[in-house]
Amino acid sequence: MSFFKKMSRRSIVQALIALPALSLFRKLPDANASDSDPSHADPNEIVEVNGWILKRSDLA
Amino acid sequence: MIFDSYEAFRAANFKPKVCILGSGPAGTTIARKLGAAGIPVVVLEAGSREFSDESQDFYRGTTVGDFYFDLDITRLRFMGGSSNHWAGWCRVLDKQDFEPKAWAPDTGWPIRRADIEPYLPEVHDILELPDFRPDVPISDDIRWVQLIKSPAVRFAEKFADELDKSRNIAVVLNTYATELAGDGKRVTGARLWSNGQDAGSFSADYFIVCTGGLENSRLLLWSNQRSNGGVVPNATALGRYWMEHPTFEGGNAILADYGEFEVDAVNEAFFSPTLAAMERLQIMNFGIRLIETPYAGIKHVIADLACTAPDMAEWVAYQLSQNLRCAAQLYVAWEQAPLASNQIELSKTDVDHAGVPRIELHWKKSELERRTLVEGLKLFGTTLIEKDLGRVRLIDWIANGEDYPTNEETAGHHHMGGTRMGTDIARSVVDANCKVHGMDNLYIGGSSVFCTSGQANPTTTITALACRLGEHLSKVVAV
Ligand SMILES: Cc1cc2nc3c(=O)[nH]c(=O)nc-3n(C[C@H](O)[C@H](O)[C@H](O)COP(=O)(O)OP(=O)(O)OC[C@H]3O[C@@H](n4cnc5c(N)ncnc54)[C@H](O)[C@@H]3O)c2cc1C
Repeated sequence: MSFFKKMSRRSIVQALIALPALSLFRKLPDANASDSDPSHADPNEIVEVNGWILKRSDLA
Repeated sequence: MIFDSYEAFRAANFKPKVCILGSGPAGTTIARKLGAAGIPVVVLEAGSREFSDESQDFYRGTTVGDFYFDLDITRLRFMGGSSNHWAGWCRVLDKQDFEPKAWAPDTGWPIRRADIEPYLPEVHDILELPDFRPDVPISDDIRWVQLIKSPAVRFAEKFADELDKSRNIAVVLNTYATELAGDGKRVTGARLWSNGQDAGSFSADYFIVCTGGLENSRLLLWSNQRSNGGVVPNATALGRYWMEHPTFEGGNAILADYGEFEVDAVNEAFFSPTLAAMERLQIMNFGIRLIETPYAGIKHVIADLACTAPDMAEWVAYQLSQNLRCAAQLYVAWEQAPLASNQIELSKTDVDHAGVPRIELHWKKSELERRTLVEGLKLFGTTLIEKDLGRVRLIDWIANGEDYPTNEETAGHHHMGGTRMGTDIARSVVDANCKVHGMDNLYIGGSSVFCTSGQANPTTTITALACRLGEHLSKVVAV
């Protein structure tokens, strides 16, 4: 299963309308401060940000 | 035969060979096994047929250390014991739970799971369980495990008729064994309390203590104190290595498809670590319980995710729009490391109506357990990522390294250890046959003999061990 399925932009927007104003609160986390060049970071690396267990590539 | 008083039992002039103390799942199962083997047995039960505040009051006690339930709330003192309100979750301890673990001192049983497996068909009949499904590996680290939500058999209700009709079994209600007397080789009698007063001493060839995972230690500690070590001659470990299953909400999961895992009738699924993962991370066993969350409950989680990983939040929002069953709450229950310092002591100041010191329970969760909780959730989160199944968010107090909350589930009401099984007399109380070290005629039934707790609720294993002890005793007593 691909985690990001093909989806219509419209349906995403519709779903997001139900949620608090997400983009206003977007806080880009500094998941690995020592890694100053994100292009070298492994996108599959597991990171913990704000309590979320994520893949680095999940981060905006 | 069921007698409502000790006086009525005495008048019947029934002469049992075996005396069992306590009519919960352990005591009832052993009595039925012995009765079926034609051995006359009496079950002395402190409570009556129904709950009463007066009886329950004998269970009061105090706890020192971590927050724990009131001791008169976490168990029931009447015929059938705590099976009168257990929830019915069933699973046998894992094979790996019986093995010693180099990273956790005092682990390992003197028996293996294979030693109780022959009794599982009987356990299935007693607890009314379907067959257990084998574990399903999800990754190298995590396996799907089955916990069966059984009909929660009330032992008194289910077996009252059979016990009443039995010619070999006498159940005597309202009869509290306040202490055992012993000479360091044999138990010579049990002191009884009935109708609010001392009822003298009762003797039998064999005694089996099945008074529950807290009370077994209390009765033996007090008996030993009164008989100068004549009941448990090797008492170093008596009351010690007490364990629970700490249980807390651990966070949330968002899943690509809730249907990815097999869920039970109430839409829940359970996950545990593999032995390899436990070894690598040096943690104890745990069970993560996935409980489906309705949309309203998950909105704030997605909003939170949007702050951290907006694309992922968009994906989740999309999933929610397509499929309202993709979010879950995570509850974690875990195995406690067996520690001698977690122990049942006798209160020095507080006694019950019969003059028996109440319990002072010393209970603290250890660093190893905190690591088990945190690493366990991370392991589950990592597995969901690796298998492209979803994402996990730790609850704030865990993510922030704060103290355990005191307003949550806390633990399972599972009282284990205190009279643990083993070969080393300095670290155990009973041998592999549940016989008290050094005593010829004293045995123990129930989860107080557990060496380790695993992650599974205890009553399935208690019942299996009781079948095994019943069978063993029927051979010993028949000789
Ligand atoms: C709220 C709750 C939910 C639970 N849910 C589950 C679950 O889902 N799954 C699971 O596996 N387990 C569960 N349990 C645990 C389960 O109830 C116990 O493991 C089980 O009842 C233990 O059986 P036992 O026979 O060893 O002891 P008990 O059930 O405690 O029985 C002991 C008996 O001995 C009697 N007694 C005590 N002292 C004396 C004395 N001195 N003389 C004579 N009689 C005495 C008592 O009155 C009682 O009848 C739960 C427990 C609680 C409280």
